[in-house]
Amino acid sequence: MRDRLRPWSWEILLALILVVSIVYNASRSDVYLTGDNFVNLFQLSIEKVIVALIMTFVIINGEIDLSVGSVMAFSAAVMATVSESGLWGVDVPFGVAIVIALLVSLVVGLIHGLVVVKTGIPSLVVTLAGLIGWRGAARVLVEDRSVGDFPQWFGELARDDLVGPLPFTLVLAIVGFAVGGVVLHRTAFGRSVFVIGNNAAVARYSGIDVARIKLRLLATSAFVAGFAGILFAARLGSVRGNIAETFELDIITMVLLGGISIFGGSGSLLGVALSIVIVLNLRNGLTLANVEGQVQTGVIGALLILSVLTRNVAERYLLRPRAASPLEPVPAARASP
Amino acid sequence: MTHVIPTKERQMNIRQLRLVAAAAVIALVAAACGDDGDDAGTEAGETDETDETASAAEGGEDFSSILLPKCTGIAVFDQANEGAQEAAEELGIDAPDFQAPATCEDPTGQIDIMTAAATQGVDAVMISNNAAEQIQPAVDAAADAGVTVVSWDSHLESAEGENLYVSQVDLDETGVVMADMALDILGEEGGQVAILSASPDASNQNAWIEAFNTALAEDPQYENIEVVDTVYGNDEDTESYNQALGLVDSYPDLDLIMAPTTVGIAAAGKAMTDEGLCDQIKVSGLGLPDEMAQYTNSGCAPQFALWSFVDLGYVTMHAAYAIGTGQVEAAAGETFDAGRMGSYTIEEDPTRDSGRLRIVMGPFTVYDESNVDEG
Amino acid sequence: MSAGSGRLLRPERLKELSLLAVIGVTILVFTPLVDGYLSGRFFNRVSTSVTIIAVLAVAQTLVIITRNIDLSLGSIVGVTAYVTGQFVAAHPDVTPVAGVGLAILIGAGLGCINGVLVAYGRVPAIVVTLGTLAIYRSWLIEYANARTITTDELPSWVADLPRTTVASWGDLDLRLVFVVALIVVVVLQATTAKLRWGRWLYAIGSNPDAARQMGLPHRRLVLSAFVGSGALAGLAGFLFLARFGTINVTAGQGFELDSVAAAVVGGASILGGTGSFVGALLGAVLIDLLDQSLVRVEAVTEFYRNAILGALILLAVIGDAGLSAWFRRRRASEARPAVGTVPSPAEATPAAPGPAASPIPDHDEEASHA
Repeated sequence: MRDRLRPWSWEILLALILVVSIVYNASRSDVYLTGDNFVNLFQLSIEKVIVALIMTFVIINGEIDLSVGSVMAFSAAVMATVSESGLWGVDVPFGVAIVIALLVSLVVGLIHGLVVVKTGIPSLVVTLAGLIGWRGAARVLVEDRSVGDFPQWFGELARDDLVGPLPFTLVLAIVGFAVGGVVLHRTAFGRSVFVIGNNAAVARYSGIDVARIKLRLLATSAFVAGFAGILFAARLGSVRGNIAETFELDIITMVLLGGISIFGGSGSLLGVALSIVIVLNLRNGLTLANVEGQVQTGVIGALLILSVLTRNVAERYLLRPRAASPLEPVPAARASP
Repeated sequence: MTHVIPTKERQMNIRQLRLVAAAAVIALVAAACGDDGDDAGTEAGETDETDETASAAEGGEDFSSILLPKCTGIAVFDQANEGAQEAAEELGIDAPDFQAPATCEDPTGQIDIMTAAATQGVDAVMISNNAAEQIQPAVDAAADAGVTVVSWDSHLESAEGENLYVSQVDLDETGVVMADMALDILGEEGGQVAILSASPDASNQNAWIEAFNTALAEDPQYENIEVVDTVYGNDEDTESYNQALGLVDSYPDLDLIMAPTTVGIAAAGKAMTDEGLCDQIKVSGLGLPDEMAQYTNSGCAPQFALWSFVDLGYVTMHAAYAIGTGQVEAAAGETFDAGRMGSYTIEEDPTRDSGRLRIVMGPFTVYDESNVDEG
Repeated sequence: MSAGSGRLLRPERLKELSLLAVIGVTILVFTPLVDGYLSGRFFNRVSTSVTIIAVLAVAQTLVIITRNIDLSLGSIVGVTAYVTGQFVAAHPDVTPVAGVGLAILIGAGLGCINGVLVAYGRVPAIVVTLGTLAIYRSWLIEYANARTITTDELPSWVADLPRTTVASWGDLDLRLVFVVALIVVVVLQATTAKLRWGRWLYAIGSNPDAARQMGLPHRRLVLSAFVGSGALAGLAGFLFLARFGTINVTAGQGFELDSVAAAVVGGASILGGTGSFVGALLGAVLIDLLDQSLVRVEAVTEFYRNAILGALILLAVIGDAGLSAWFRRRRASEARPAVGTVPSPAEATPAAPGPAASPIPDHDEEASHA
């Protein structure tokens, strides 16, 4: 039984933390268990959640995209300026402005991907330049102004309920994770992503087009970030040069705490989904309990270290005294010499 | 496999280390959570006090509030918190919760806190706005939930949902005060001034810089003062320090750096001091006496100005309480009492579009060698 | 056994050479664009502003080499700057050595917590240091209790440290803080090359399984890397204290990413086993040089600066990658005969750099090629 559970141990651990945190929050605050609060809890970070989905693919593939926050801002800035002042003097309908912003994001991603694939420079460095550069490009477009006055339907898209109490963005994220899970864990493409992340050389020998998949993922990453930036603009109602600043760290944290290895090749989307729910849930509970933002992060960090540590110590001293051979459980007595 | 078999002794060592590690983490978690517990404790304590002092004339109503500055780690916001706590104690109400995003770079943290405030159903939020108009949907939601929103230091962009703006000083007057300091430092012959601001998205800094430029343009006595550039240090030490030196190198004839932010002015003062530039280039703007005393005494920053942020927090708490409990209506001409600061009359804000209400706290204190050590 | 005749041209050396070339090109490009660019004054600006990040990049490299990462460096800088500042403010007659020593000790202590959790608790470094990034910072917020340390309170030797000059030629100063950074780089570069400890660090990062099979003290090595990186972050914290004087709870925020950036631009791979300290220094210098130069180009207005900076960093790393590849091809054609005569160790993968290929101590290899 334990053998079968073993690959899922991280997810089981996360699920346990989740249950504990929900019970704790519910006992601390009487508004916690209200439907509104649950929707709020996700809606406030929904753009990060959507980007975390594609980031999971990118990291499993052995790459990383630090530029997502800046690309969100750039895409939103493109949409806002195009809809405000048109293109080459021609007025552009709002819907077309959105399409242009999405295409620009895709081009941004293709640039990242091509540089990584063609030059062999680590994506960490390329997207770090992107982190600085695309933020700067957003600044060039909107300077110190704020661009707003979007059509009404655009704001409603982000705020109004679509299915029951769930707004469009939340429905989108749920569907996205379901589809993403199938693609990552049940298709040939998903397997290739894992294989490349484990060992790109082996992947190449086994006939996987490594460059093509890396390029696709980095392009999709920027595209999804650009899309999330537009959703974020809808929720905020206006665009400034500083939107989504420092989001990249939160997003990467969600993914890594979900058990995805920073070195690529391992992890599951279920883990990421659980870790997102835990992080948002803990933050929400701590905010309702009036714990300051920075301290919240400290509590979450400590909790994670502690839980992994407890698991390791328990495994080491109670279950198996030897690190190797997880197959044969050893009597606890032998564990402590 | 050629495993190194650990000796018994080493195993013990490893075990001990693990225990130490576990203990360390537990201690850290305990420390983090413990503070939370403490907070709850003090709150409870103060609620008891409330009941005892409930007989006080206007105070003592059940009132929960959040003080929401731009971010943590900036001294003036901590001072404002001090003032707000003082006012809350006098009023016999729960102390406001001090909640702020971790960095000023991420304004969306304020949106999260504002949204949570609406969910929690607190009575008032006192905000120094760092999210420009992007906070508006969250403010609307809070207003719908019956939360009183009072802005201070940095106002909201729209009057919707904002009950009152507690302005430290008149926005236009700030421009004149900065122009006067520049004139005093540079003298009749004037010279080149560069502005080192916080972020391009800070409502109050932008308003002050605009007022400064307007003052210079409109009054002929400032005609020799030329503003050559505006740069942004994002209220970070590193960035502000480097930007200040960048200005020096880009404008060889620069005479004065005007920084309308406490972080920027202190970083500029240190940069000029470190590079031995204080004889050529002076620093001025809005600064804290504590942080600026050394540079003022050395002649690097001969004059700077500020108002009391303790008083600002104090007045804001009184205003939020008066409006939030319905004792005073948020309308022009209404007057309320703000403890040791005297009484204030709400007026329409002439520096912003019509329909917005403000009170002006004042006054400005201009600091120089004669009074900086007392401040 | 010998690592082969290509020792002088190890990948790290090639990387450093190409970085130097890129830095040279950067200087050539900006010289006509900025008045007084090739001046002692501009050297002073860059050399002082790069020190803190340079020391942190070195600290980060030390950990990255072992296939780990330390994201808590920024918070360690904040804690040491604040606590040390408070201490020297309260004891103004404390000697500089004691002040700096305290900073390094606090840093080493915090690094030790990271190291113990990673090495002995077997918690992944990224989880540990993402956690301590927040934990150390929240501790500082609680501890500082909204009090700022001001320049006034500091003894003059601390506040004057940034302008303390070791030697100067005209208006070009060799500042003490820059010399400190250089010493850190040189000492670490030398010890990792000469000492068994250093080569083992590369070995466990390059191929953890092989290293374990050879009986290297994996845990102690990882712990030592974290302690070392913490100690260096403590030193950087002291430099931060001296440079800015006004210290609040946000001190050092965001430095973790800057340090990773400089280390990786400098040639370290987050997959471990690769990276050099000189490279980390050069990476930090390149990024800072681009930033500082752009601030001074008059045609570049404030709103365009970051867009151009991003493009330039990308251009610089592409140029660097091209140059490295070119150097490597040249080396390959030169070194081929030597490789043919000396069989390389079986476990050396094509990606493994020089030191990883010879984790077993061999004492004669350093002397042979100069």
